[in-house]
Amino acid sequence: MNIYLRLVYRNLRANLDRASLFFELIFPLFFIFVQGFGLNGIVPPFDIGNGKFVSYSLFLAAGAVTLTVINGGTNAGTQLWFDRKNGMFEQILMGPFTRAQYILSIIFATLIIGVAGSLLVFVFAFPVVGASFAFSLEGALLIAAALFFGTVFFGAFAITLSVALKSSETFQVVSTFAFFIFLFTSSVFFPASSAPSAIQAASLANPLTYTTDIFRAGLFSAATSTTSLELGVLAVEAAVMFVIAVLAFRRIRV
Amino acid sequence: MRGQDPVIRVQELSKRFGDKVAVDRVAFDIDRSEVFGFLGPNGAGKTTTIKMLTTLLQPTSGRATILGHDLRTEGRKIRERIGVVQQQDSFDQGLNVETSLDIYGLIWDVPRPERKRRIGELIERLGMEEFRRKPTIDLSSGQRRRLQVAREFIHDMDLLFLDEPTVGLDPIVRRTLLDFFKERVRDGLTIFFTTHILEEAEYLCDRIAVINEGRIIDVDTPENLKRRFGSAKAVEFKLLQGSSAELAALLSSSEGVTRLVQEPSTGTYRVTTARPESVIPEIYRHAERLGVTVSSIYISETTLEDAFINLVTENHGAGVVSGGRAA
Ligand SMILES: Nc1ncnc2c1ncn2[C@@H]1O[C@H](COP(=O)(O)OP(=O)(O)O)[C@@H](O)[C@H]1O
Ligand SMILES: [Mg+2]
Repeated sequence: MNIYLRLVYRNLRANLDRASLFFELIFPLFFIFVQGFGLNGIVPPFDIGNGKFVSYSLFLAAGAVTLTVINGGTNAGTQLWFDRKNGMFEQILMGPFTRAQYILSIIFATLIIGVAGSLLVFVFAFPVVGASFAFSLEGALLIAAALFFGTVFFGAFAITLSVALKSSETFQVVSTFAFFIFLFTSSVFFPASSAPSAIQAASLANPLTYTTDIFRAGLFSAATSTTSLELGVLAVEAAVMFVIAVLAFRRIRV
Repeated sequence: MRGQDPVIRVQELSKRFGDKVAVDRVAFDIDRSEVFGFLGPNGAGKTTTIKMLTTLLQPTSGRATILGHDLRTEGRKIRERIGVVQQQDSFDQGLNVETSLDIYGLIWDVPRPERKRRIGELIERLGMEEFRRKPTIDLSSGQRRRLQVAREFIHDMDLLFLDEPTVGLDPIVRRTLLDFFKERVRDGLTIFFTTHILEEAEYLCDRIAVINEGRIIDVDTPENLKRRFGSAKAVEFKLLQGSSAELAALLSSSEGVTRLVQEPSTGTYRVTTARPESVIPEIYRHAERLGVTVSSIYISETTLEDAFINLVTENHGAGVVSGGRAA
C-alpha cells in the first residue's frame, strides 16, 4: 500500500477525537435548522451578487457548510499535537518515513475530514438548500476549490499553532479563540458589506470570508467578476499559510 | 561474527545544545548479534546518542555508519532497518492494544496475515493477554512499556535501539523482556541498549560502554570491567540503632571512601572503597565514639556497580551518581 495511504489511515484511526467530530457536525446543523429559520422571518431575502436573491436561511446554510472547513482544519493541529504529546511524533520520524511524508499525511487526513465533513453537512442541509441548488460544472469547481483551499489554510494554520503552543491548554484555548475571530469576521453569518467597518476590513483578510463567498457563488450560481479575484486571494493565503506551517514544522525540536 | 563490517561504526560523534556538550566525541563499533550497552547516570548523554543514531537529531560533528549506510545522507535507508523503543512513552491514544499493534504494523507495510501472526505471538510471549483489548490511554506505565517493546517486533529489523526499556517494570516482567531480547539476539538481532541499572547491563550486554557527562570512559565486557576495577570493594554494615547521620557524614568524608549509600528497606550501609582494610577499623572507631553499635559487617563481592562507581568518580572527582541513594 502507498505510504501516504498508510499514514493517512493511521492518522484517521489513531488521532481523531470522535466526540469533537460529532460536535463539529452538530454545530453547523444547529445554525442551519435553528438560527437560519429563526431569522428568516425578520430578514428579507437579499442580493448575494449577480442579481441572485436568497433567503437568510439559505445564506446561512451555505455559511454553515464552510464552517465545517475551519472546524475540520483544526483537526490538523490536534493530530500533530496528540502525536507530540504521546511520543508518536518522534516514533514515526524514526520509522521508514520522511518528515515531509508525515506532515503531508496530516494535511491529507485533514482534507478528508474537512471536505467529507462539509459534504456531510451539505447532505443534511439539502432539504434547505437543495431547492435553489442549480448544478453546473463551474459551480462544482468553485465549491471544490473553496473547500480545498479553505481546509488547507485552516489545517496549516492549526499546525502552526500546534507547533507554537506546546501545552495542551494553550493550544485548545488559542485555537478556540482564533476560531471565533475567524468566524465573526467572516461572511458566514452576514454579508461582509453589512458588517461594521472595522469588521469589514478584517473580513477582507479573512480566508473564511473567501471560502464562504466562493462556496456560495458556486452553490447559487452567483459568481461575479470578484469571485475569481477572491479565489486568487484564497489560493495565495492557503499557499502562504502552508509554507509557514512547513517552516514551523521543520523547527520542531525533538 | 567478527570480521564482518560492524553494524554500527561511530567516529567522534558529538552533540551540543548551545553551550552544553551533551555527547562528546564518542566512538565505538558494534558487531552483528551483539548487545552493546550504554551505561551511565541520568544526563550522561545516552538518549541524545540514540536520537542521533536513529536520525532524529543531527549530530553537531562526527560521523557514523549504520548497517552500512551513512548517518548524514542515508537516514531513510537506516530507518527502514531499525527499531526504536524510546525512553519516553509513546502510544496511539485512540486505539486499544491490539489495534495499535496492527496499525503500527500497517504503517510499516507488514502484510496483514503476518501482522496477525506476530501480534498473537507477541501478546502471548510478553504476557499481554489480560490487557490486549484495553485502550492504550488506560494502560499502566508498565503495560504501556510492554506495548512499546512489542510494537517494534511487529516489523522486521536488523538493529534495535532500547532506551532504558525496563523503567517502571516489575522484576518478573523485566526478566521476561530481557530474556525475550536475548532470544532475538540469538536469531541475529543486534541491540544498542541504554540503562542506568547495572544488573541489567550485566545480564544482557556483551560489551558495555560506561558513559558520563557525554564521554565514554571505558568500553569492555562486563567481566573485564569487574576484573579491571575489582580493586573497588564494598563494605556493608548494619547498625543496631538502624541509622546514624553523624556516622554517615564522618565516613563519607573520610579518605578512601568513594561513596556511601544506605539501602532504605534494610538499613544496610554500603561503602564503596578501594581500601576496605582501613575503612573497617574506621567504621568501628567512629561508631564507638558516637555510641552506636555495629551489628554486622562484611566485605561484599565486587559488583559491576562498584566498577562503575570507581570509573565515574575517577573521571569526575568525588561523585554523586545515580543508581543508589546517597545516605
Ligand atoms: N533538547 C535539549 N536541549 C538542551 N539540552 C538537552 C536537550 N536534550 C538533552 N539535553 C541535555 O543533554 C544532556 C544529556 O541528556 P540525555 O541524552 O537525555 O541523557 P541521558 O539519556 O543519559 O539521561 C543532559 O544534560 C540534558 O539536559
Ligand atoms: Mg535518557
